[in-house]
Amino acid sequence: MNKLKIPAVLVLAYLVLPLAVNGNDYVVSLIVAALTIGGIALAWSMLGNLGGMVSFGHAAFFGIGSYASALLTIKAGWPVLVSMLFAGLVAAASSIATMPALRLRGPYFALSILAYAEIFRIIATEWKGLTGGAAGILSIPRLPEIMGIDLGGKIGGYFVVVTLVIAMVGIYAVIRRSPQGLALKAMHDSEDATRVVGVNATMLKALMLVVSAFFAGLMGAFNAHYINFLEPDYAFSGSWTTLAIVAAIFGGYRTLWGPLIGALVVYLVDQLVFKAILPQGHQIILGALLGAMVLFSPTGLTPLIAKLTRLQRKETANAAH
Amino acid sequence: MFELFAQSAFSGVLAGAYYALIALGLALVFGTMRVINLAHGELVLLAAYVAYSAENKLHLDPLASLPLAVAVVGLTSIAVYGLLSRIKKDRELNSLILTFGLGVIMTNAILMIWSADIHSTSVPWHHDAIILADLLFAMNSEVFFGVAGLVVVAGLWWWLEKTWYGRALRAVASNRDAAKLMGINPQFTEILSFAVAGLLASVAGIAIYSAKVIQPSLGHHLTVKAFIITVLAGMGSVPGVLLGGMLLGIVENLTVTLASSALQELAGMVLFLVVLLVMPSGLFGRVRRRG
Repeated sequence: MNKLKIPAVLVLAYLVLPLAVNGNDYVVSLIVAALTIGGIALAWSMLGNLGGMVSFGHAAFFGIGSYASALLTIKAGWPVLVSMLFAGLVAAASSIATMPALRLRGPYFALSILAYAEIFRIIATEWKGLTGGAAGILSIPRLPEIMGIDLGGKIGGYFVVVTLVIAMVGIYAVIRRSPQGLALKAMHDSEDATRVVGVNATMLKALMLVVSAFFAGLMGAFNAHYINFLEPDYAFSGSWTTLAIVAAIFGGYRTLWGPLIGALVVYLVDQLVFKAILPQGHQIILGALLGAMVLFSPTGLTPLIAKLTRLQRKETANAAH
Repeated sequence: MFELFAQSAFSGVLAGAYYALIALGLALVFGTMRVINLAHGELVLLAAYVAYSAENKLHLDPLASLPLAVAVVGLTSIAVYGLLSRIKKDRELNSLILTFGLGVIMTNAILMIWSADIHSTSVPWHHDAIILADLLFAMNSEVFFGVAGLVVVAGLWWWLEKTWYGRALRAVASNRDAAKLMGINPQFTEILSFAVAGLLASVAGIAIYSAKVIQPSLGHHLTVKAFIITVLAGMGSVPGVLLGGMLLGIVENLTVTLASSALQELAGMVLFLVVLLVMPSGLFGRVRRRG
């Protein structure tokens, strides 16, 4: 079953889905946006699940990644794919500035990261010489053409983002299985007990923060080259964080695929259904969804479905007897 | 130059009084339930919009809409408690996410009911100027709510120190189980803390509607400000929260005067981070050992 899962996902991601939606640019762009948010949700979940820390400021890393990549291509003339990777590193480096916040717990950590996001946004607005200020940056270079596939096009962008998020899931899976991942999981149950047996908890938390910031920055860099336009209020918008949290909680932030599935479901349903019904204030549904998930199924949708199917299987097995 | 400093400090102190009201509500709830209510700023904003509707539909002065605002916001605040109390597992993390979601709901509900336009009171008295000592300028409403804020904070302090329910609230905040053994009903005390937080939010909301402008996205900023102030003050000190509020007000106003209004939020955030990182227990809080 598990061995079949990975090829099935790959076939679905690279063959079935592109063939099904190719030509429908609107749907493709919605899916790309959903996967971008899914990528942030995944980065957020890494910190939330393994580090045990809720961040309300992942927009900070997303925004820094997008500005870094845009500026590297425009001002330094770097190739797009290289600067995207480097932008992830810049975002990871920026997370070092936020590390003093790691001493803080719970709400203090969550809101101090938010403060960093605000500070970065204001710097991006005020440092006009570098970032162009509130007017933003226009005509950011698009993704290149590789082996006959134009990555800058709608469907090309889809292939890039889907590759990025699948790679992220892979790396996440490796981290979870590593001894460090195990130590992080143990930390979630009791940080003091974990420290006692000799785990350097602060070091591991810092490591997760860096990895999480790298991925969030990478998604920001992709987004900058995909939409070719940036401004501070957009790049550092709080809704990158909100949507990612909703997606992660909805899909199940302790699972591997939950954040991605959550992002696809939440974003597509929000854009296609709720936005049509409620043109203004449709995010109210997202808030309600978040509240309902926390109250009724705090572990998220994917574990809930797994539980239900298990129950059903048990029932059919019982009926057979 | 001295006039500029004096004026900024004066405006900051006046703003600090109602900042303190917002922060006290947040701190009160944190004390009894160990929960940061991320929808608290939205409660304040709700009170402001109730005052707006009362003025436009019922032709009431913002001050006269206080009972209505207290009723609406108090009940909403208690409803937030009702939802929060249902969380059993992983309370610290889940309560943050739940109240964050409730904040999103309230912001969008306000957007849907009252639209995205900005509003302020049209009763002229509130915007009329008074000049103190030929030097300091303020609007009537700013001075009125500055003083009212001080009175309410003093009243709250007295209530927490001297009355039975106030003491019960502090008892639950310091040790829930011990308080229960002494015959205090912790649930009732928690509801009480949310109700009082709603009352404080109502006064602050009407102050904002009278002296500033309101718009749907403001709630989130108010929550962040309130949190900054509680961090500045340290937990468990009512006068500390008042001073923290005034400190933030003064720093913000000085930044606007000396640099630019674009940097106003930045100043607050930097102050917040510095205090948080250098003195995690706040300027006026007691030092508490971990674990």
